[in-house]
Amino acid sequence: MEPAPHILVVDDDREIRELLARFLEKQGFRVTTAREAREARRAWPLGRYHIVVLDLMMPGESGLDFARWLRGQSDVPIVMLTAMGEETDRIVGLELGADDYVAKPFNPRELLARIRAVMRRAHGEGARRDPLPSAIRFGGWVLEPQRRRLLNPDGVEVSLTGGEYELLTVLVERPNRVLTRDMLMDLLRGRQAGPFDRAIDVAVSRLRRKLEDDGRNPSLIKTVRGGGYVLAADVERAA
Amino acid sequence: MNALIRRVLPRTLAARTALFLLVALMAVQAAGLTIHALDRVDLQRAAMEREMSSRVFGLWRAVVLALPERRGALLSDIDLPQGLEATLDERPNVRLGMPPAPPPVLRMVRPELLMGAPPRLRPREIQAGMGFGTLNLSMMLPDGSAWLNMAVHAPPLRPWHSETFLIAFVLMTAAAASLILWAVRRLTRPVRDLARAANALGRDVNAPPMPEDGPLEVATAAHAFNTMAERIRRFVGDRTQMLAAIGHDLRTPITRLKLRAEFMDDDEQRAKMLSDLEEMEAMVNATLAFARDDAAAEPSVPLDLAALCRTVLDEAADARPDVDADAFVYDGPERLTVRGRPIALKRALANLVTNAANYGGVARILLEPPRNGSILLLVEDDGPGIPPESQEAVFQPFRRLEVSRNRETGGVGLGLPIARNILRAHGGDVTLRNRPGGGLSAAVVLPA
Repeated sequence: MEPAPHILVVDDDREIRELLARFLEKQGFRVTTAREAREARRAWPLGRYHIVVLDLMMPGESGLDFARWLRGQSDVPIVMLTAMGEETDRIVGLELGADDYVAKPFNPRELLARIRAVMRRAHGEGARRDPLPSAIRFGGWVLEPQRRRLLNPDGVEVSLTGGEYELLTVLVERPNRVLTRDMLMDLLRGRQAGPFDRAIDVAVSRLRRKLEDDGRNPSLIKTVRGGGYVLAADVERAA
Repeated sequence: MNALIRRVLPRTLAARTALFLLVALMAVQAAGLTIHALDRVDLQRAAMEREMSSRVFGLWRAVVLALPERRGALLSDIDLPQGLEATLDERPNVRLGMPPAPPPVLRMVRPELLMGAPPRLRPREIQAGMGFGTLNLSMMLPDGSAWLNMAVHAPPLRPWHSETFLIAFVLMTAAAASLILWAVRRLTRPVRDLARAANALGRDVNAPPMPEDGPLEVATAAHAFNTMAERIRRFVGDRTQMLAAIGHDLRTPITRLKLRAEFMDDDEQRAKMLSDLEEMEAMVNATLAFARDDAAAEPSVPLDLAALCRTVLDEAADARPDVDADAFVYDGPERLTVRGRPIALKRALANLVTNAANYGGVARILLEPPRNGSILLLVEDDGPGIPPESQEAVFQPFRRLEVSRNRETGGVGLGLPIARNILRAHGGDVTLRNRPGGGLSAAVVLPA
């Protein structure tokens, strides 16, 4: 059996640190904690970490600086803990190569879901993990994962619900591949806290509408007979 | 009376001041010109009296000194001034019962001059009487042969008769009026500037200060205004910082509590505790969003308002799995591109939709295509509505209408103020009114 994944938790609040460690250990992780960036740097060489959970707001060296240093050392996945409204910090963090973020005060289960999703992306699928691209182009549309937004061919921002965004991300990461409903459910559950409770079909039809894709004769998200969907477009990524 | 004055008075301070000054100026001019005219009256009368008396005396002398048989011819030959008639008669033309001549009229002919003349020129008798505005003067010739009857009627005094008079009046009034208008506009400009600055301050606390120059009073007022603006700025800043600090500091304990909840064995209690904590978090977030007013920090980009409406409705529906999804309806164009701040606009619409769903059970967004440069968006529900007198009050921060319904619909009383702040920052606004058929309608107006 694979050894338990090792997590480095960096947060300046002792209680949160300890509670988070206990919570994650209960979920089957090995956890090392660090109070701030200096301690984290010391802890870094001592373990082989699968993922780092990093608080952005810390006394002394900021989380962003530490993330930058960490990126120089390794491409270990990073999940940032941000405060709501620290929009610019979040974007900078994502540009630095952090893999995801959770806004404080976070729901522990949502954090857990994000950790698992990030790890699956990083270590699963046997693939080397790319940092979050700044733009993904498909069929004239542009998805900007770092800013979590979608632009139409005219450059107009088209807003998406959380579910639509996750579904689109899953689709553009696997272009021209047929994804069954079950596969989609599985992939989406890894990303979202709680069950993806609306039927996949509803989500797809909503997304088609946003993408100006005719529901009866879709050209972007095609329905595959036998129960599945495929994004029929060439996808181009910009780092 | 007051109403009448108010109706007649012009509305602006400048016009009122100008009007008062002009009226005063005209009164002063009229008074001055009247004094001038009265002076002219005196002068004219004096001149006329001198003229008349000398003519009367001259005529008398000429008649007395002429040969008695030449007197009639002389009288018809002689050139008499206007208002003076003279005849030589057997009898005086002053009749009995004529009113005596008042001294001012008598002064015209100065009978005392005649009476003081040397004896050969002195009339034997003088009679004077008034008849129909005419002074009748009868003088018996020194030889007693006849009476020289004169009818003197003074030409009317015409103090206002002067071409220059009217021109002077008009010119002076026009010159003064233009000076007054210019000066008044100049003088009231600081008041207009002050009003403009106060307006700007109302819209944006960080509006630039007023220039503290100009006359002393104006500079003092500007300085006082700037000081007040600075105090307001500091007050708002302190309050904002306090709210932000509280909100920020609450995050850590809420995070801790959420983690602790995960160690509770009782699933039901844990779920309840988490939902309480979510509620607290929502309040903190709303407070922070209001305090920071970070709409201004977000860049404005072209966005699809129709897609935004759908997103907000779908997310509201997703958050309420127990409510029928048909309760969230979008009615409007497929695409509508506007410029705006996506996150802020989404928050504003989400607040309105959340209110509609919480209080009215349903949320419908009706989006109308741009007309006359603005876009109308209605968020409607089927709830009880809001009494008209409270429809503005609910936009005040921390104002909540229902005293205590259940907590799910509670909120912190910032949803509408935040929505209005955001929409106003976009150059639009939001107002509430009850729909005729029941339910509330939030009307959002945005520039197209």
